[in-house]
Amino acid sequence: MPESLIETRNLIKRYGDKVAVNNISFDVYGGEVFGFLGPNGAGKTTTIKMIVGLLQPTSGTVKVAGYDVQTQPVFAKSASGYVPDTPNLYAKLTGQELLRFVGDLYSLDRGQAARRIDELLRKFDLFAAANDTVDSYSHGMQQKASLAAALMHDPKVLVLDEPTVGLDPKSARLIKDILRQLADRGAAVMLSTHILEIAERMCDRIGIINKGELVAVGTMAELRVLDKTGQASLEDIFLGLTGGAEETEIAEILK
Amino acid sequence: MRLRLRITYNSFRHAKASRKIGILILYLMLAGFGLFILLLSRLFLGLMQSPEIARYSGIDMKSVLTSIPALILSAVFFGTLLTSFGVLLQALYLSGDMDFLIAAPIPIRAVFIVKLLQAVLPNFALISLFGIPIFFGLGISNNYALVYYPLVVLVMIVLALAAAGLASLLVMLVVRILPPRRAAELLAFSGGMFGLVCSQLGNFTNSFGQDINISGTRLAGIVLLANTRWLPLNWAGQGLIALGESHWLSGTLLVGATLVFTIVTFWFALITAERWYYSGWAGMQAITRKKKPYAPRSVNATTNHIGLRMARLVPSPVLGIVQKDFLTLRRDLRSLSQLISPIILGVLYTLTMFRSAGEAPIESIEASSWFAQSFDTALAYSSVGMSLFVGWMILSRLAGMGFSQEGRNYWLLKAAPVHARHLLAAKFLVAYLPALGLGLVFLIVISVLDRLSALEFLYSLITLSMCQAGMAGILLSFGVAGANLTWDDPRRMNAGVLGCFGQIVAMLYLPVAFGLFIVPLGLASFFEFPIIYGYLFGLLIGSGATAICAYVPLWLVLKKVELLGE
Repeated sequence: MPESLIETRNLIKRYGDKVAVNNISFDVYGGEVFGFLGPNGAGKTTTIKMIVGLLQPTSGTVKVAGYDVQTQPVFAKSASGYVPDTPNLYAKLTGQELLRFVGDLYSLDRGQAARRIDELLRKFDLFAAANDTVDSYSHGMQQKASLAAALMHDPKVLVLDEPTVGLDPKSARLIKDILRQLADRGAAVMLSTHILEIAERMCDRIGIINKGELVAVGTMAELRVLDKTGQASLEDIFLGLTGGAEETEIAEILK
Repeated sequence: MRLRLRITYNSFRHAKASRKIGILILYLMLAGFGLFILLLSRLFLGLMQSPEIARYSGIDMKSVLTSIPALILSAVFFGTLLTSFGVLLQALYLSGDMDFLIAAPIPIRAVFIVKLLQAVLPNFALISLFGIPIFFGLGISNNYALVYYPLVVLVMIVLALAAAGLASLLVMLVVRILPPRRAAELLAFSGGMFGLVCSQLGNFTNSFGQDINISGTRLAGIVLLANTRWLPLNWAGQGLIALGESHWLSGTLLVGATLVFTIVTFWFALITAERWYYSGWAGMQAITRKKKPYAPRSVNATTNHIGLRMARLVPSPVLGIVQKDFLTLRRDLRSLSQLISPIILGVLYTLTMFRSAGEAPIESIEASSWFAQSFDTALAYSSVGMSLFVGWMILSRLAGMGFSQEGRNYWLLKAAPVHARHLLAAKFLVAYLPALGLGLVFLIVISVLDRLSALEFLYSLITLSMCQAGMAGILLSFGVAGANLTWDDPRRMNAGVLGCFGQIVAMLYLPVAFGLFIVPLGLASFFEFPIIYGYLFGLLIGSGATAICAYVPLWLVLKKVELLGE
């Protein structure tokens, strides 16, 4: 049995009366890519933010690499890397300086950090722009810089929120390959996406969240069991579970 | 335009009653102000025509009066040109709605005209608030023909439009060389610096008032400069006066020429700007910065550097944040201008202080010897006061907004394995080190000029470093409590009430902390103890109190740091 690197138990997040995440429990194991799907406003980003320590849960626990994110945040964060949906990066730092800064935040040895920066800049095709400030980067370059920053310390757990948004096919492919390689080396990769094709092809297991509740978790084969025909695509399963099927029917009628 | 008017109307309609009343009162006050300027200018311009005044002053008042229209029209033209530049840069390149507007089924010319009007109207209204009453006052005092009044408004409008058109071309030329955001930063930086230097030089020269005397003759000479024949802006002024005085032919020719000239300029600018913008010419930088080739840094080459070895004692995240903050502050011109301002102020106030210090009539004060001695002591440590003042201005920015300046990038710090105490320590150092460094420079310069003894300098240094540490602690803790991480415009970084409250507390803290170091010296003189006791006592209570102020507020907000950004 592979080691559980992300462990959420009875996770709840409330904003006043509104329940954004309601009693969610799931695991992401080392060596797997876990897809986290859900309609807009379902609670994906809130859950992800609680996993990486950006938000404190109202109740419940999150463990990353065995460390409780609330009580041992520094250890938990040392083990994880995070790529947000919007790559807000320091506009006035160059790509190289940004990565060096991240290396310092993760207490990497300067020599080791320099080698890693060199490697990541080449891998993400940012080498030529390494001395340019981030504000001169395109959205795709910023997204890649953000992923490079998350990989600086070679994390055991990588959490990505919509990582392929705004990327050209080449960069999207590169990111998918990198995530697969990372999982093959034993890391746990969790990503949220709206592109069901990516989830179906890339992810070993998938979790579907709707209105703050986890409605399904499993491999594609396990999710297909939820459908009567057993042949359904992820899109059908997703729409069936999140109530989008009715909207699809309306769209068909309108045609 | 309808949309803009609708937004303005809706904002007013949905505003609270108190706000509505406030807006109405403001408009009434503005109307009253306009009327006041009108009456004042009528009175003043009427007085200027009296032969007694001309005889007494020896100035050709007729020429001065005929120069006034050209002077106001020049102010309208150049004022609009300069102020529209920044507004148009924002509206055309940084507001983000241009793509939407150009993609919409609206003629591109309409979009441009709206953008130009948006840029012109507020500044034009401000200039008109002064300009139109003066023009009308001139007309009334000279019994000008009725046609003069509407033509004044018309000429002002076309001149403002022509200026805005030229400003749009200028914006597009600049954007061809510099990225728009950089151009906006440069504009804000140079505008801020220019304003500060002008205002402070004004204050500074006022303090040397006896040396500078702007006489009426000199002022009239400046006004007459506008009355130069070859200046096109003067044609309009002369034309308006000619029409006012019923010289129809010359007036019509001059005003007509101005109108044609300005309308052609506006039209040409509008068409060219449209083409440049639409073709993408004005969005493509012709000159690009020469790229520095990336070379991986050699680590061993710098390991022997003593500064780096000392820096190794500091935890890596702290060092990283400090380096990052110094880099970003240096590169962001808006931040840089906030940091340069205290230096300019410090230099000017130091010069003023030295000038007035020589005038202190200490000998004339009939006081007991201890009082005179205490006064001498206080004077000796005034250098610390000046250094603290400069430090306070820097700390207000660096400590008070230390966390807020992270803005939307804060997630990077929050997701990283950084202890809250390390984060606070880093932000403390980012604020404290430059304030201390600059304070130290001021202290050294003033101490040398003031010939302070080594003991006085050492005590000043301790006083300065401890007082600034306490102030950094206070301002940083308020900065944490009122942190705003969701700003888009850097000017709104410190929008909270807590930031202002922090400034008030720091202002109260500063004299008290300074007094704790200095008062014991005066007390030692009063009780005729050796001065060393004063120093020791001052060090003990001053350092103790300031160290508490540096540490306790930060300790209180430690938990808040952990929750920041949620």
